[in-house]
Amino acid sequence: MNGAQHILEAFHRHNIQTVFGYPGGCIMPLYDALVDDVSVEHVLCRHEQGCALAADGYARASGRLGVCIATSGPGATNLITGVANAHRDSTPMLVITGQVPSSLIGTDAFQETDVLGMTLGIVKHSYLAESADELPSILEEAIELAQSGRPGPVWIDIPKDVLLAEAAVAPTCRPTPKEAACPDLTSATALLRAARKPLLYSGGGISLAHAEKSFRDFAESSGLPAVVSLKGIGNPGKHSAHNLGMLGMHGSRAANRAVDECDLLLVIGARLDDRATGKLEGFAPNARLIHIDADAAEMNKLLSTELTIRGDLNTVLRELTQVLRETPLEISEWRKQCQTWRTTGGFQAADNEEPLTPITGPAFIRQLSRIAPDDTTIACDVGQHQMWIAQYYQFDHPRHHLTSGGLGTMGFGLPAAIGAQFARPDSTVLNVTGDGSFMMNAQELATIRRYNLPVKLIIMDNQCLGMVRQQQELFYNNRECQINLDDNPDFVAMARAFDIPALKIERTDQVRRGIETILAYHGPMLLHVAIAREENVWPIVKPGGSNREMIDETRRNSADKKEKVA
Amino acid sequence: MTTESCNSTPDYTIACRMNHEAAALERLCQVVRIRGFRIAKMAVETQDGVLDIALTVQGTRPVTMLQSQLEKLHTVEEVILTTPVLAPATSRTA
Repeated sequence: MNGAQHILEAFHRHNIQTVFGYPGGCIMPLYDALVDDVSVEHVLCRHEQGCALAADGYARASGRLGVCIATSGPGATNLITGVANAHRDSTPMLVITGQVPSSLIGTDAFQETDVLGMTLGIVKHSYLAESADELPSILEEAIELAQSGRPGPVWIDIPKDVLLAEAAVAPTCRPTPKEAACPDLTSATALLRAARKPLLYSGGGISLAHAEKSFRDFAESSGLPAVVSLKGIGNPGKHSAHNLGMLGMHGSRAANRAVDECDLLLVIGARLDDRATGKLEGFAPNARLIHIDADAAEMNKLLSTELTIRGDLNTVLRELTQVLRETPLEISEWRKQCQTWRTTGGFQAADNEEPLTPITGPAFIRQLSRIAPDDTTIACDVGQHQMWIAQYYQFDHPRHHLTSGGLGTMGFGLPAAIGAQFARPDSTVLNVTGDGSFMMNAQELATIRRYNLPVKLIIMDNQCLGMVRQQQELFYNNRECQINLDDNPDFVAMARAFDIPALKIERTDQVRRGIETILAYHGPMLLHVAIAREENVWPIVKPGGSNREMIDETRRNSADKKEKVA
Repeated sequence: MTTESCNSTPDYTIACRMNHEAAALERLCQVVRIRGFRIAKMAVETQDGVLDIALTVQGTRPVTMLQSQLEKLHTVEEVILTTPVLAPATSRTA
């Protein structure tokens, strides 16, 4: 068995059935081995970035390992954005690249790049396989490492001669998973009981730990008012009475107000990202912090914390649930207060009922949320539409919301939706994108067509880079620069060129029928939604500002008026 | 006691033990840089596939943050702050 066959053997051993890749010179021995393999489905994307982001989407939607493959040189460098994206959002991923033969490394050979060196900062770990004999153990370790603790991408760079070399079949013993011991929660419980206004703040760590159910049980049985980060959307479920929504720059007033007023913040599986906290000095000013996470390096990284607990979130949440079930918290006044804020400071997009008026982003997303089936997965891109999805779509599970949180990768959505559809072939998968983001990986329409994936594409087209335009308007004296996209291609014609049916809507009375049409269609379909160029995402906190200083449309308008009066 | 360098940026000394794999030292140096420190002095010894590294770094951020980031590296076995710092020094076995 040669090195390439060992890779497939590792895939079989770990039940890896779907991989995303693109062939080329130095990785050809692996593709040669794939010819004789019937159990691994190789998905050919049209760009290596598409491969990496599709593997990321597959992993997020399924909770399993995403795998991407590329050749050396440009193949590897094209993967980088996708791998960085996975790194920032802690997606479990295995990356395999071919490398020039060992004897040519360092000679500036054709398609040689120092992949190991240039990717050190975007991987959980990486390997250069120096011999076929060590490849099986590297593969075992890499697959385990990518998925354990705080997950992340692990990259194996393999010279072509190593892929071709014969290696003994070494028996690999897989370690038996140990039941994680629960850390001592006495102090955490005492702090919770002493608090009058405790608040639960959860993030993407919940689904990374496969702790969705434990979290839901804890949130419901504790009755703690709850806020979520962008990656935590869906944790409390769409029917939770205690959920105040997303906090932070584009968060709900209710969530930011509760953080501002709480006297204890219980942070679980979140890393206190700057988009969530705003200016740190103004964040949760009255609160003691308890931080529970799988990654010790996140503790006290940005904010000093009263109590840190590192451990398996499932174990910790189950134990906390048990403790609070025995003696519930007495916080009815605080719950009542949060309920009031929830009613008055949540997201209430006005449904734009005037039939001939232009479509507004929030109203469209609310309508989509009402019509789409419960198990719909949405892979969005980056920009205004991403925030409208976060604000107005009601997600019932965190794995239904695929968003590039840490890296903010425009072009994530389309390949991520492809990965998600492979992970959940029987579910509805939507890519909701903007006109800017869509064009970043539009070549993957060919992948959708090739595999006849029933992915539905929704382009919210405002003919510009809306989020940049919005910030230029609000924070740069309306000096617009390089955001104009009014020469976009005809997206309907473009989709049809890939043999994907498409339709365009531009008025409110067309929304329902447009959404219902694409959802009912048996294959892939594109809906081009024209929206107003000037529309903004509200509320917004100025980058670097405090979450207390949320700007909404009313305040913006009154500020304008004041300026005009002056 | 924390020593002060000539430009008032604190110096810290760190002893780090890690496996001698490809790009091991690059990985270490990159973490030091990206987490806001500069390497002022570095001595490396190799024995039986293990690197023993004595580092002097300068930076204004909490050095315990650097320690925890270095400890996260898969091939790092142990990180010890040998200069007493604001927080108590700890070590970890990988």
